Amino acid sequence: MTNFGNGSSLTVADKYYSQYGLRARELKGSGKKIIGYLSVLGPIEILTAAGVVPFRLKGNVSEAITKGDAYMETIICPFVRNVFDAAIKGKFDFLEGMVLPHQCDSIDRTDDVWANNLQLPYWHYLNVPHVTDDPSIEFMKDILRLLIRSLEKLTGKKITDDDIAQAVKAHNENRQLMRDLYVLRKSNPPMISGTEMMKVLVAAMSLPVDESSALIKSVTEEVKARPMPANGKVPRIMLIGDQIDDVAIIDAIEGAGAHLVMDDLSIGSKMYWTDVDATPDPIQGIAERYLRKLKIPTTFVGDGNTYQENLEARFGHMKQFIKEFKVDGAILFIYKYCDPYGFDVPAMKSFIESGGTPVLYLEDEYSTSTLARVKTRIEAFLEMIA
Amino acid sequence: MSPYFAGIDIGSTMTKVVIMDDEIVASIIGPTGPEHRKLANKVIEEALIKAALSFEDLAYIVATGYGRINVPFADRQVTEITCHAKGIHHLLPKVKTIVDIGGQDSKGIKISNGKVTGFVMNDKCAAGTGRFLEIIADSLGVPLVKLGEISLTADKAAEISSTCTVFAEHEVINKLSGGESVANLVAGIHESVATRVYALVNKLKIEPEVAITGGGAKNIGLVKALEHKFGFPIVVPPEPLITGALGAALVGKEVYEKYASEGLVPTRSGHGLEEARLFS
Repeated sequence: MTNFGNGSSLTVADKYYSQYGLRARELKGSGKKIIGYLSVLGPIEILTAAGVVPFRLKGNVSEAITKGDAYMETIICPFVRNVFDAAIKGKFDFLEGMVLPHQCDSIDRTDDVWANNLQLPYWHYLNVPHVTDDPSIEFMKDILRLLIRSLEKLTGKKITDDDIAQAVKAHNENRQLMRDLYVLRKSNPPMISGTEMMKVLVAAMSLPVDESSALIKSVTEEVKARPMPANGKVPRIMLIGDQIDDVAIIDAIEGAGAHLVMDDLSIGSKMYWTDVDATPDPIQGIAERYLRKLKIPTTFVGDGNTYQENLEARFGHMKQFIKEFKVDGAILFIYKYCDPYGFDVPAMKSFIESGGTPVLYLEDEYSTSTLARVKTRIEAFLEMIA
Repeated sequence: MSPYFAGIDIGSTMTKVVIMDDEIVASIIGPTGPEHRKLANKVIEEALIKAALSFEDLAYIVATGYGRINVPFADRQVTEITCHAKGIHHLLPKVKTIVDIGGQDSKGIKISNGKVTGFVMNDKCAAGTGRFLEIIADSLGVPLVKLGEISLTADKAAEISSTCTVFAEHEVINKLSGGESVANLVAGIHESVATRVYALVNKLKIEPEVAITGGGAKNIGLVKALEHKFGFPIVVPPEPLITGALGAALVGKEVYEKYASEGLVPTRSGHGLEEARLFS
């Protein structure tokens, strides 16, 4: 087990959460190349195989956008604008380059704004398709190969199939370890709070895969060893959304007397629930995982025979989470101007409600400036389901 | 002697207090200032005087509204959503949908058997709120409380197409200089607020009976415009400003009675009025 120095592994997670990028900066100092990426579609296995450190970018919900708006209009996703603002202010000056995967229009159509203004030595736009049929899998494999070629040029080192297979193994193990930690949320009360969990998730996405795995493993051991919290009869909540990467909203939920016990977030269960299959051509498994296994609104096209079957295929896993984690209510938190999630909201909401679980739908900024209003809605929702 | 309960509702614009035993004993309405804590003391003292009671006579106090955390002597904080539903259900048990038009927000609440089953609130924007009416009243040089009455004399509602408060204000001023009558403009503004509120509340699937609460309920022109949108009459409670405070008092009564049924007394905040003053 990695030694986390004097201090518990939860303290280490807290440190990497509150000083985001701390470890990446250290690694850069020791000669590593750090490659930033946005979204759950960032192909981390390939970055790891290339010998660079994948670093998922996040913004800061407590910081107002002061420079970014000169380059991006306010109709663009507030999350993307906030991260870009941080980047343009030099918060990620340790980056060697970035990989920008096409998740939504706010990412796709701002690619040149990022590239031209950040002027990093390495830049790669990954044109992830939006449909999941067989030709799209072939296309996905081709664009992953283009990424491999460009990374080989950056590092001057060939990326072999074996390198990729090793990286896939390491990331699968990493995802399994995170799922093991999630199991500790099933008890009532959960053994790990939603706030602690958020810090672990954020810390994990800022570390090289081996360090991330060591941290998650150590957190799991630490949490298992501490005394069980007193049995509380409070509502158990699941949070659904894309990149929610701050404890502010979770503090609002848990501070109002509920436990956050599960998520369907792009830095949480979406990221960790599905593995890459070890296929003879390792690229095949990666393409299938990102295009077909990941349940995100932008790459999911229903191929069921009925509308109901499509809903089941798109959101069925959420009903499964609700059952397994004994969820009493779901909070659907969507950023303003997020059309991919916006399109999904009515169907997703009614699908979850049809199983008897109440849903609170919130649409807001990537900012704590509106937290008071959000808190009132959360409190009213908890009073409603009590 | 039966115990007394107080509900205090600190809204963005007005602060309301209700003291009750089985029925309302006294109620007070006053403007919310920047110093919530001092005001909370002042209004509850006024209400106590009106009810001829002392602070010690209150068995449980519940605070609600956006300033609910700034009432040191409250024993519990409950959101205005739950409180409006409780208050209205107590007064008008047949109501299934509540429309609340307050100073800084408007909301819709669905109730079934006295319990909240869904709610919606407006975005962080003044359109569809009391503040919108206040700003327009100001630019027309009309007192806020007269808006309803004036709109009834309109021969037609002027078309106001902007929902943004600032743009609507420009539009009103332009139409005024173009010769449109004040009455028609006020009617147009009510139409605009009603459209906005109807779209918001309709997300809940409106079911009759519908009751209206908050300051907006005191504007007859706005109520009529809403009735027109809804397609049926809307019930206005006798004092639409105090339903949140009444609901808060009722929550306190329920908590107290639940404990009492087990021979217990609920835990109190431990703060009295004197202590609260030290904070202000």
